[in-house]
Amino acid sequence: MAAIRFSNVSKRYASGQDALLNLDFELESGEMAFLTGHSGAGKSTLLKLIMLMERPSRGQVWVGQQDLSRLHRSQIPYLRRQIGVVFQNHQLLFDRSIFDNVALPLQISGYDPADAARRVRAALDKVGLLAREKHNPITLSTGEQQRVGIARAIVHKPRLLLADEPTGNLDPQLSEDIMRLFGQFNQVGTTVLIASHDLSLINRMKHRMLTLRNGRLVADG
Amino acid sequence: MAKKEIPAQAPRRGAQQHRIGFADRSRSWRRHHVQVAKQALVRLKQTPVASLMTLAVLAIALALPGFLFTALNNLQALTSGWDPEPRIALYMRTELSDQTIDSFSRELLLREDLSSVELISRDKGLEDFRRYTAFADLLDHFDHNPLPAVIMVTPLSTDPTTLSPLQAELQALPGVSEAQLDMEWVQRLNAIIALAERGSYVLGGLLALAVLLVVGNTVRMTIESRRDEIIVSKLVGATDAWVRRPFLYSGFWYGLIGGLLAWVLVQLALLMVTAPAQALADLYLNRFEVSGLGLVGTFSMLGAAALLGLIGSWLAVTRHLNEIEPGES
Repeated sequence: MAAIRFSNVSKRYASGQDALLNLDFELESGEMAFLTGHSGAGKSTLLKLIMLMERPSRGQVWVGQQDLSRLHRSQIPYLRRQIGVVFQNHQLLFDRSIFDNVALPLQISGYDPADAARRVRAALDKVGLLAREKHNPITLSTGEQQRVGIARAIVHKPRLLLADEPTGNLDPQLSEDIMRLFGQFNQVGTTVLIASHDLSLINRMKHRMLTLRNGRLVADG
Repeated sequence: MAKKEIPAQAPRRGAQQHRIGFADRSRSWRRHHVQVAKQALVRLKQTPVASLMTLAVLAIALALPGFLFTALNNLQALTSGWDPEPRIALYMRTELSDQTIDSFSRELLLREDLSSVELISRDKGLEDFRRYTAFADLLDHFDHNPLPAVIMVTPLSTDPTTLSPLQAELQALPGVSEAQLDMEWVQRLNAIIALAERGSYVLGGLLALAVLLVVGNTVRMTIESRRDEIIVSKLVGATDAWVRRPFLYSGFWYGLIGGLLAWVLVQLALLMVTAPAQALADLYLNRFEVSGLGLVGTFSMLGAAALLGLIGSWLAVTRHLNEIEPGES
């Protein structure tokens, strides 16, 4: 079963710029793939279409069994609960502890607090930040903040994990650690799609690579 | 690190792990309400000066109509305490003899639409005039008594629609020079009170609008300051209702606390007014007591205040929350 399917998808912004053109691809459930291309090639737009942060101008996007074009606005939250996202700017909230940042998706989905706490600690343990749970994320280094962002993305065990330039500001060693972390999630069955332009790192990972250029898929493999 | 623990069918695991049952969901819904209500209150305390300013404005806007309504209620209680019995004064022609007038008044007694008849003869009228007015000397200029005999009648019905025809009927009786309905000043007072009541509704409506705007604006600023939180929440699957909830609660608290402060203001104002009002009332009658908002008044005031806060924040939230979508960031 395909975890993600793009069928002849195009996205043109109101400015007239074509972000994506006739995109066709499938990502199998349990697969891990990289999405590469220069900045402005359409990587972020592609991820936004999966999250329904944007709607395609043409074509259809499927997440699992769901045709996103049929999804009403009120159903978008439930789609997003099935997906974990890691952002380049990690989008952490500095008015609360690391623990509370990671707990947010569980709170929103309505988990029992005790159960949620257990899951948050497990997620923080996985990214190696359990000892810092009570700290404010502002006290962390960029790499550590990124790891909190990852913990938040995987805390509810999503079936699909998206990451937009997760190693953007990190040194090579940290980047490799983070990528290895994604690999681990993939090994327990999560479908992973990572947008990154760090080619040297991606080449070492030996996963499927989707290359975008000017909104078109120019290489797949 | 978790690799060795994975069963063969691992790829499906991530997708099916967490279905949340209805009972859990409703429990978490209630939990979120309680939590958010508390947090909204804590947030008010976190910016004490700004919160107090807003609350003071709300309290004044709510106290004004509250005070007006209380004052009007008291005024109505006061006038209803007054004898509402309308009386008609029949001024008799001066050329009639005392005897004729006396027998005329006896005839009136037989009428079924009158409950009492009281004759004030010309002599009695003169006597009263001398006793109660400062113009007694005036009468010395007359060589005969200029006052007419007056028959005061009390109609059985107090309904204004039957009073006017009755007045006309009595006026037409032979011997009556004029029949005067002596309720007009009460009617005038009631009309004034009704006008004041209507006016206070208008004022109340305008001030309610002010409360909506103040709460709406305050909540709008809160929304703006929590923009990041809203975006992140929406990205990890928060529904509109979930995002809206904290703001609705802050609106509710603003309204309720503003209402409580307004209540205190009204009570203080009443305390200041009571003594002079009592003194004034004592000049006319002695069984009047100034009443406060009362239980019903208090609860309707608090309820209205909380409701206005809720509506104000609802308006702000529906208007501004849709503008904050993760897509544009």
